[in-house]
Amino acid sequence: MRSYQSVLILKPDFDEAQVDEALAGITELIQGYGGACLKVDKWGKKRLAYRVKKNRFGYYLNIYHTCENEQVPALEAKYKLFAPIIKFMVLRLDDKELERAMGSGEAEEKAEEGENKEAATPEAATPKAEAVAEKTED
Amino acid sequence: MGTMGTTNKKRSFFSQKICRFCADKAEYIDFHDVKALKPLISERGKIVPSRISGNCAKHQRQLTNAIKRARNIALLPFAVEH
Ligand SMILES: [Zn+2]
Repeated sequence: MRSYQSVLILKPDFDEAQVDEALAGITELIQGYGGACLKVDKWGKKRLAYRVKKNRFGYYLNIYHTCENEQVPALEAKYKLFAPIIKFMVLRLDDKELERAMGSGEAEEKAEEGENKEAATPEAATPKAEAVAEKTED
Repeated sequence: MGTMGTTNKKRSFFSQKICRFCADKAEYIDFHDVKALKPLISERGKIVPSRISGNCAKHQRQLTNAIKRARNIALLPFAVEH
C-alpha cells in the first residue's frame, strides 16, 4: 500500500457545508479502494491560472491518503466522474515526502512566522536600496 | 564581494549568481508555494533559465518539477491568456 497526495479543485460556488459534503463523498471513494485519508488540507478558494471547464476560480482541497497500488487508475476515473470536482492531480509520495507532509503542520506555522519576518524586513530594506539607487544615479 | 548582494537584493537579483534556494537552505521546493515560484517564471509564463536566475543545477531541477506540477493543477499558467 502506497501513499498518495490528491489535489482536487472543486466548483467555486461551493460553501463550507457543500465542501464538507463533497469531502465525505471523496473519503468514501478512497475507502472504497482500500485506502484511508491521512490528512486533509483545505487550501480554500483560489483564482485559477487558466480557465478550467469555464471556471475562473476553484476551491482547492489537498488530501494525503493511502490506496491500493492497482486501484489508482480506477480512483482517478471515479474522480473524473465525480461532479463537484473540476480538476484533479494524484501524486505518488515516497517515504521522505510522506514524512514531510505529515510534519508540515508544524513546518507551516514556522514558515508563516518566517514570512512575517521576511515581510517586515523588505520594508526596512527598501529605503536603503532607494538610498543606494540615488547615490548611483548621482 | 559576496556580502554586497544582501544590501540591495532587489536590484541585483537577476545578476547575482547565488542560488536563492541554497541561500534559504531549502532542501525541497513545494509546488503549491506559488509565492516562491512566481518570481522564477517570466511574464509569458516560461521558466526562467538558471543561467539568468543563478540557481544551482540541483535546485533548478526541483524547481522545474514544482512549476510543472503547479501548472498541471492551475496554480501557474502554461501560457498567459489575453
Ligand atoms: Zn541550490
